[in-house]
Amino acid sequence: MSVPGDAAVSPGTGDGRVVVDLRGIRKEFPGVVACDGANLTVRAGTIHALLGENGAGKTSLVNVLGGVYLPDAGEIWVHGAQRQFHSPADAIAAGIGMVHQEFRLVPTLTVFENVVLGSAPRYLDMGQIIERVSHLAATYSLQIDPSRPVWQLSVGERQRVEILKALWRDADVLVLDEPTAVLTPAEAAALGLTLRSMADRGRSVIYISHKLDEVLSVCDEATVLRNGVTVAQPRSLVGIDRSDLAEMMVGEAAAAIQRPTDQPSGDVVLELAGISALSDRGLPALHAVDIDVRAGEIVGIAGVSGNGQRELAETIAGLRPTTAGTMQLAGVEVTGASPRARSRAGLAYVPEDRLGVGLAPTMSVVDNAVVRSYRSMRRRMMLDLQSCEDFCRRLIERFGVQVGRLHEPISALSGGNLQRLLLGRELTGEPKVLVAAQPTRGLDVAGIAAIQSQIVAQRAAGVGVLLISEDLDELLALSDRLIVMYEGQVAARMDPTQATRAEVGAAMAGTATA
Amino acid sequence: MTEPTHAPLHTVARGRARWHRIIVRPVLQRRARVAPAAQAIAFVIGIVLALIAGAMLLWGSGNDPATVYQRMAESSLGGFDALSRTLLRATPLAIAGLAVAVAGSMGLWNIGAEGQMMAGATVAAGFAMVAGDLPGPVLIVLMLVAGAVGGVVLVVGPALARAYLGVSEIITTLMLVEVAIRIVEWLKVGPWKDPESFGFAQISPLPDQASLPGLFGQVHIGVLFAAALLLAFWLAVSRTAWGYELRMAGSSPATARYAGISLQRKVLTALLLSGGLAGLAGAIELTGTATRLEPGLSSGYGFAGIIVAALALMRPSGVAVVAFVFGAVLRGGQSIQTLGVTSSIATILQAMILIGALVAAVLLNYRVRWVRPVGHPSEKSAPQAGPAPGGAPPSEGSSHPEASGV
Repeated sequence: MSVPGDAAVSPGTGDGRVVVDLRGIRKEFPGVVACDGANLTVRAGTIHALLGENGAGKTSLVNVLGGVYLPDAGEIWVHGAQRQFHSPADAIAAGIGMVHQEFRLVPTLTVFENVVLGSAPRYLDMGQIIERVSHLAATYSLQIDPSRPVWQLSVGERQRVEILKALWRDADVLVLDEPTAVLTPAEAAALGLTLRSMADRGRSVIYISHKLDEVLSVCDEATVLRNGVTVAQPRSLVGIDRSDLAEMMVGEAAAAIQRPTDQPSGDVVLELAGISALSDRGLPALHAVDIDVRAGEIVGIAGVSGNGQRELAETIAGLRPTTAGTMQLAGVEVTGASPRARSRAGLAYVPEDRLGVGLAPTMSVVDNAVVRSYRSMRRRMMLDLQSCEDFCRRLIERFGVQVGRLHEPISALSGGNLQRLLLGRELTGEPKVLVAAQPTRGLDVAGIAAIQSQIVAQRAAGVGVLLISEDLDELLALSDRLIVMYEGQVAARMDPTQATRAEVGAAMAGTATA
Repeated sequence: MTEPTHAPLHTVARGRARWHRIIVRPVLQRRARVAPAAQAIAFVIGIVLALIAGAMLLWGSGNDPATVYQRMAESSLGGFDALSRTLLRATPLAIAGLAVAVAGSMGLWNIGAEGQMMAGATVAAGFAMVAGDLPGPVLIVLMLVAGAVGGVVLVVGPALARAYLGVSEIITTLMLVEVAIRIVEWLKVGPWKDPESFGFAQISPLPDQASLPGLFGQVHIGVLFAAALLLAFWLAVSRTAWGYELRMAGSSPATARYAGISLQRKVLTALLLSGGLAGLAGAIELTGTATRLEPGLSSGYGFAGIIVAALALMRPSGVAVVAFVFGAVLRGGQSIQTLGVTSSIATILQAMILIGALVAAVLLNYRVRWVRPVGHPSEKSAPQAGPAPGGAPPSEGSSHPEASGV
């Protein structure tokens, strides 16, 4: 049970001492087995990638380690001792630090207050604490001002506060769940340096990510999960490339989808002229945006999240009022029209928030399937349940949605199935324009392929597609034209066959001229 | 384990209680789905547990639990007359519960059903004063309509404020309860004071023909209205496009907006309907059980409606069952006072039964797992919390190979 106690730890990597050992973890949720005999072995001083498709059990596994879930079976060994964590506090005390996808910070408190929250010394000496927090931040090259309130911070800075919190609690294992999903490329690179400096000091990092390139450049070792089972544990990533990892994850090499190379030449189906709009806070979010999309064309919108993409999509869908400019949809003036009028004019909209905007989480699969069409399923005042169910069944069949029962709440579905249902619902009724915001975010490889091929199929069918995405590879592969947004304006218009990632990245950072 | 980069000032777990290292601990885990049948079983179990606890209370206060419970059961469920007395109380509870549930099915809380009942009763009584010569059936129907209007009048302000300004309906509806009750008190001593009652302040009695026809025993025809309303709203919420829109707006406002549903209109209709139903409950209580309007007429049925709706999970079908049980508890609690159980003990007993049912309904969403701790991490924090020069591994002595309870 206990490791030899005399092994003094030297700084730096590669002494091979096992810090975390999860053995045969099983975790079952009603109707779903998230983990079924998953193993994870993490050594001191390494950055360990945890890979797997969506639903492979990655997040469940680290939540078991983090004390969020009790496993149904299996053993947790930390530093050679078997543990049982009843709460995240237990795990923190054992030296496990978690950085979740949603940050758990108090916006009105300052950075250092958030860092020491819950573990503050009884007698607060502010100056001393600030000094210690600064010192800790500097040690791990985390750029942050400890006395700034958290609400003023960018997403990347907030993530640094979360990491600092874990370090303050002396976590020797830091778990990061998709840490770069919200970061700019520069912030992601800085995070990589921080993690490396932690590993150099003998700490360990468990790094969950979908981005294979990133895993290859940042991580030392990997564990690959498939359907809740550990299928591969390469001790070194040297000599392993993207397609090797992808193959381990899905069991077969995934082929990237490419748009056809024919030139689109349809009429303009979506035309935005000088559109401006405000953000939720009432600040200008879009400024004089001109965009047109032709039939049979995919126009990609790139940009770091928070540069007006969300507002752009909502404005086109009619969910956000414009303050200036005009909009035409398939030749019809729709400026100021209701979402329903736009949908009748031929707009299909896949919002960024699948659950909550696109779909109502607590309502059934059928109820969600008929959101756009229930009005045509009325028989006098009553809703014709039979035709609703028939409609839902056809949708499920046509778009390959995997559903348990038609009347179970839609939130029981996995991310990929939610998106298939949502996209399918929007595509019935032969739209002329498809606006898809982050349609593949967070999906597994198979789900991404299904959604992307649907989008390409819509292009072939003559639909004008506006594809808003944070996945640059997806945009470069699918778009006929690429528009980069920066601070609510069109920063650059590019030809995706010519543009390099570096050029697009520069435009996203606002350093290129439009 | 590494060179200490800072001496931690904290002691996260050092002070944690050690008792749960030896004791098997229950852990609550949320269930993903709850079967409707389980809901009913838990409801019954909760009530039984509350009755057991109540037995101790009765014993402690010098009563014989067996006798008291027997009287409670007999007086509320034992026979025609007893059932009629239970139904008499279940009627206003069901309509008030339905009123709260209609708003609740789209996520709104009409806390002020009590006030809307009073407003409904007041407008109905006022109408009877003006048109007291009408024949009975006509008068009663018009009084019920007037009651619904009264409820709507009291809720129209909160509804508009909620729909267009986003003002919480919880606070506004609740505050208007007081307003409605005070208005009745003012009417009693002021304009509506019965001139034939001499010095004693009370409102003039209703015309004789303004009382709901009896059905059997104590029950009046209002119980049929309640049943019809429950059925109508069950159909409306679960089977109509209107109900679909209502549920969609309650479940996910953004989705509803995208589907072209006007949230403001839905908020307005849900709250106005809710108020109208509560007002109707007030008018039915007035014409069914009272001879005149009084400030205490609604006697807490409006507030009890919140409990009924919550226990029924905002479903009309559930409202019917819960209202009946609640009615039985009220009737039973009242009847045992003739056995010498003081009214405060009787009230506590009623409250315990309701709490039992409520707690059971909540706990049903979780399952309890008993876990036995293995090595507790608080032990590890001791070596780790202090600076560890030389980086001594903190794993020493921290393993406790007790059998896992899982």
